[in-house]
Amino acid sequence: MSNEMKIERSRANQQAQTLRVKPRWHMTALHIVYYLIMASFLIFYMLPFWGTVMTSFKTNSEVMMSTPITPPTEWTLEGYASAMEELGVPLLTSLFVTLFGAAGSVFLGSVCAYALSKWKFKCNNVFFIALVAATYLPFQAILIPLLQTISALDLYDNIWGLVLVHTVFGMPMCTVMMRGYYADVPDALIRQAMIDGNGMWAIYRKIVLPNTRIATITVFVFQCTSIWNEMLFALVLGGYDSKPATIALNELAGTMAAEFNVQMAGSLILALPVLVLYIFMGKYLISGQMSGAVTAS
Amino acid sequence: MAAITIRDMCVSYNKGKSYVLDNLNLDIRDGEFCVFLGPSGCGKSTAMHCIAGLLHPVSGEIRFGEEVMTAAKGKGKDKTFVPPQERNIAMVFQEYALYPNMTVRENMSFALKTKKVAKEEIEKRVNYMAQMLSIEQLMDRRPAELSGGQRQRVALGRALVRDPQVFLLDEPLGNLDAKLRDQVRYELKKIQEQLGITTIYVTHDQTEAMTMADHIVLMKDGHIMQEGTPEEMYDHPANEFVAGFLGTPQINIFSCEVKKNTLDAGTFQLGIPEQYQAALTPYAGKMIHLGIRPSDFELAKEGFNAIKGQVESIEPLGDAYLIYVRVGEKIVVFKYAGEHAPKEKELLLVPNMEKLHLFDAETEKRINR
Repeated sequence: MSNEMKIERSRANQQAQTLRVKPRWHMTALHIVYYLIMASFLIFYMLPFWGTVMTSFKTNSEVMMSTPITPPTEWTLEGYASAMEELGVPLLTSLFVTLFGAAGSVFLGSVCAYALSKWKFKCNNVFFIALVAATYLPFQAILIPLLQTISALDLYDNIWGLVLVHTVFGMPMCTVMMRGYYADVPDALIRQAMIDGNGMWAIYRKIVLPNTRIATITVFVFQCTSIWNEMLFALVLGGYDSKPATIALNELAGTMAAEFNVQMAGSLILALPVLVLYIFMGKYLISGQMSGAVTAS
Repeated sequence: MAAITIRDMCVSYNKGKSYVLDNLNLDIRDGEFCVFLGPSGCGKSTAMHCIAGLLHPVSGEIRFGEEVMTAAKGKGKDKTFVPPQERNIAMVFQEYALYPNMTVRENMSFALKTKKVAKEEIEKRVNYMAQMLSIEQLMDRRPAELSGGQRQRVALGRALVRDPQVFLLDEPLGNLDAKLRDQVRYELKKIQEQLGITTIYVTHDQTEAMTMADHIVLMKDGHIMQEGTPEEMYDHPANEFVAGFLGTPQINIFSCEVKKNTLDAGTFQLGIPEQYQAALTPYAGKMIHLGIRPSDFELAKEGFNAIKGQVESIEPLGDAYLIYVRVGEKIVVFKYAGEHAPKEKELLLVPNMEKLHLFDAETEKRINR
């Protein structure tokens, strides 16, 4: 670096330093207010969670004698062991329904979204509007006919019945979400793949899916969370043999003796998979949501 | 390789209310480098997309050699339609359309893998083309890691590696800077000559068309204005639009009255040479348009058939000068090939009388041969 350039740079630095304005007192006060508001919100949201965690590690007798937010005097996994006795099988049911239901709805949604966004056919928009309308459908309104249909198909109290219902009712939302992502795939890529000798299905498999992996993960995680936490279909269609964890947890809370440590442990066990999913996939979820919001070049 | 024949092709985007291409007829010879040239919206890309099978014409026929690719008879119902993936064509888009999830090698092999060509053969062809385009060192990179010029070469390589019967290029140099564009233009022409593949090239850049084409098709508003070799089109433009579109800077156009033995533009008079007498006879006493290319003037000290004007500005081009001369209300461009720009404020320009372009004032069609 020449001397002249060094002098130039030091001048620029000096100028930048003189430009740096000291914060005024009222700005500092404003920041303190901001932080106080944020801290109060944080406490508001985190306190119940803190109480849940603390209670879950207490013995039943300590639960009766202490406030929920105080740490346990004796840490124990007693609550978790009892909760798992009740939740073990329902958790497996939930996992099965969630994975298959999410996979089914994401797959169908993805294929529909591809067709709706990249191929022109008659009534294309009518189909899309119908799907959007389906996402606003209140499930309560169709519960009785749905129950009758599922019973007629001999799928009541059957794990596959729940998978089917979640696949069908999750599909419209998946389609709407993925259509937005697929619209960002340049049409030139599709045309190029056609010229390169590929048909509609091959283009979806080889070009569209690999280039929208993050979108698929985002929608899949979104769908997993919805199905994992879902209770209405589970309650109406689940019966005894195919009882998912949300229903089992509700039954824990509904027992006569209020074993809060067991209930809290059960709640945490149920929340854990979703929490882990968000912690590890958060990066992808945010970028996926962003890429859907902004038009790609 | 194949010749391409287009017969009575019409394309409409609004169910026949208006036509983007109106009764297009065209013959492209086998192995020819044909350029579709024209301003934006003239239908050149639409015509190419129809040839590729990416668009369905309302009516008309497209043949590759003897094989009918598209034959439509009204209302968009195709009698015959070979889908793009079965036409054995290769295409390069302006935006390159490289597959972002694949490396350069995978991009170039993709079409061959789809056609289930043997692995060794794919490797051989891809390596040969990579060497030809000097992209061997980029083979394991993804498109996002390449510069514009490199992407462009990969897109060309991907198309050429397929050994297609028709090669379609849709403004492939549009995203390159001027220097790179010249270089790739030269390479592209060289490769096309080596491989002898029938090529259609879409551009709005007349320099690209003039330098690369064996056959130019100049279009406007869905119609072919003129087609022919670059020399034919430049020397004998069929109408004022063609004359204005080809050549930089643009041709100078003057309105002149045809008088006995002279063309009177008001600010100057030119004697009518003998070879134009017959063509101008029906226009006696009428107005016509006279076109003179900037390079078809010479400087004179004095003399007959000269146009007198005041120098407005001079642009040095390095090997020549562009001199803007005011003649009455009109600015005339004159390309002067001398070593030094003239110092005079007033110039006498003498047009090359062999190279005058005469157009009908109403129809704008060429009058002289």
